[in-house]
Amino acid sequence: MTETAAPEVRLGNDIARQFAHLPDGDAVARIADHLLRFWDPRMRARLRDLVAAGDPDLDARVVVAAELL
Amino acid sequence: MPLPTGYGLNQAFGTSAGTQDFKSVEQADVVLLIGATPTDAHPVFASRLKKRLRQGARLVVADPRRIELVRSPHVTAAYHLPVLPGANVAFVNAMAHVVVTEGLHDEGFVRERCENVDGYLSFIADPVHSPEATEEVTGIPAADLRAAARLYATARNGAIYYGLGVTEHSQGSTMVMGMANLAMVTGNLGREGVGVNPLRGQNNVLGSCDLGSFPHEFPGYRHVSLDAVRGIYERLWGRTLDPEPGLRIPNMFDSALGGSFMGLYVQGEDIAQSDPNTQHVEAALRAMELVVVQDLFLNETARFAHVFLPGTSFLEKDGTFTNAERRINRVRPVLPPRQGKDEWQITCDIATAMGYDMGYASAAEIMAEIAATTPTFAGVSFDRLDQEGSLQWPVTESAPHGTPTMHVGEFVRGKGKLVETVYVPTTERANRRFPLILTTGRILTQYNVGAQTRRTSNNTWHPEDILELHPADAEVRGIRTGDLVELSSRVGTTALRALVSERMPAGVVYTTFHHPVTGANVVTTENSDWATNCPEYKVTAVQVGVANARGETDLEAARREHPDELAAPR
Repeated sequence: MTETAAPEVRLGNDIARQFAHLPDGDAVARIADHLLRFWDPRMRARLRDLVAAGDPDLDARVVVAAELL
Repeated sequence: MPLPTGYGLNQAFGTSAGTQDFKSVEQADVVLLIGATPTDAHPVFASRLKKRLRQGARLVVADPRRIELVRSPHVTAAYHLPVLPGANVAFVNAMAHVVVTEGLHDEGFVRERCENVDGYLSFIADPVHSPEATEEVTGIPAADLRAAARLYATARNGAIYYGLGVTEHSQGSTMVMGMANLAMVTGNLGREGVGVNPLRGQNNVLGSCDLGSFPHEFPGYRHVSLDAVRGIYERLWGRTLDPEPGLRIPNMFDSALGGSFMGLYVQGEDIAQSDPNTQHVEAALRAMELVVVQDLFLNETARFAHVFLPGTSFLEKDGTFTNAERRINRVRPVLPPRQGKDEWQITCDIATAMGYDMGYASAAEIMAEIAATTPTFAGVSFDRLDQEGSLQWPVTESAPHGTPTMHVGEFVRGKGKLVETVYVPTTERANRRFPLILTTGRILTQYNVGAQTRRTSNNTWHPEDILELHPADAEVRGIRTGDLVELSSRVGTTALRALVSERMPAGVVYTTFHHPVTGANVVTTENSDWATNCPEYKVTAVQVGVANARGETDLEAARREHPDELAAPR
């Protein structure tokens, strides 16, 4: 990951790493739940924008979770 | 910022506070002290702990540094486990692994009181968690860890006490859950002498958390998305409330630089000195359109203030402080506020000027509203506090005199939740350029960023922040005690004096963050706890070298670009 990555990329990937041991479906559900409960809507919106822009540094499961928001 | 304690204990037990009262330590037979230095940061509790240790209780210290309690007059720890910064979760899992695989766990307790028992037991029994398998990561000799785990698990009463050396990590929340797991599997909850006990970062931090300072919660740790909870306040205040969480402090800085967060009202906290990556924080504060600082002193943050409002000292305050044992204490003024208003009145005046008539007549009236709207505070009032002296929440109809010990018979959430706490290394690692790990902490004679204590003769004892490092790390760099050294990380550089010290393990250096002239947070990074974004103050990859002279740092260069900013009087 580049040091200049958007904060939402770093913070989202940090969450995903904690659930890396879980199967895809469970991990994505846990990530999405965490984002809904603890992230300000503007951060979720920026995350969705990063997904739409195809940010190469985003964890694949964060991408799927963002699409559920 | 104690957010990981709130998150972790809420997940495990259903409430975001320590399980015991301080007196509980008098019944503890084995104390497991993790990432805390009570003799420096919690001296009153340290006295009570030492008293119990002198009576024969055993102590296990898990800390990278050989802190005073490892060996000092009349106190010798049974074991010092020198856990490396960043490896706490691997350490606590290894402890639980020993307990479970050696059959030392309390089968009756976990079956009756906990959930996810089989899932957790099979997770933790996996040999990847053994002390031998994790020795290289934790830095703890496996035999010592096994012996310490046996000591804790076989104690009549085993108690865990922990500090910011647990929470201020990228896995701070996970570690809190890991300690809760360890207490649950050994049945060390729900009576005196046991429990999971945070030693908090500030005197009233629990009080602030209790009353809704988290951006996703209303008072009593109730999530903003709960319609019934919002309804309580909407009916009372006649306003519609936002069901979405807000920004946490590091998110505010990022959003300020992103252009969406333009105003800040900061009361009694010096974020420009206390928060990590000072250059980033200062850039964020400069980017804001309005910074209002309300404080006793022109602190570092006041440099960036467009409006400065006066604060009051505790001697002028009328209200409550709530300490780590959930004890709500009255704070009574010994003199009227010198600035003419209580701090809360200034906040009310701002709200009123912005269109909401916040017309409380007294602090007692505010407490009455808290009690009327927050179930755990239902029985609290200034009158009751005056009668009882103090009260430990929850104070309810069934516990009118408060609750010294929580989770007796049943956890607040019903069953205690055993969580598979997977160890995930932090992304901040030593490397060729930054081969040492910096960890930070406090010293007895200064408090936090020193805004109050630096202005006293306490400075006689601790006039500057010092970098402690192991003799081997010092020798290869040609550093002697007293030398001025440069401390650099990937985000910044500062200079301070060195102290060669065998209290440090090789590879780990330590300093305090009491003095803005050193600014330890110039080098700490944006890394944070995955769940709560509490900054990872305890792990920063750094390099240290002899400084010939104190040159201009990046931070000072950035400040030179802004000569209009007010320099805080020292």
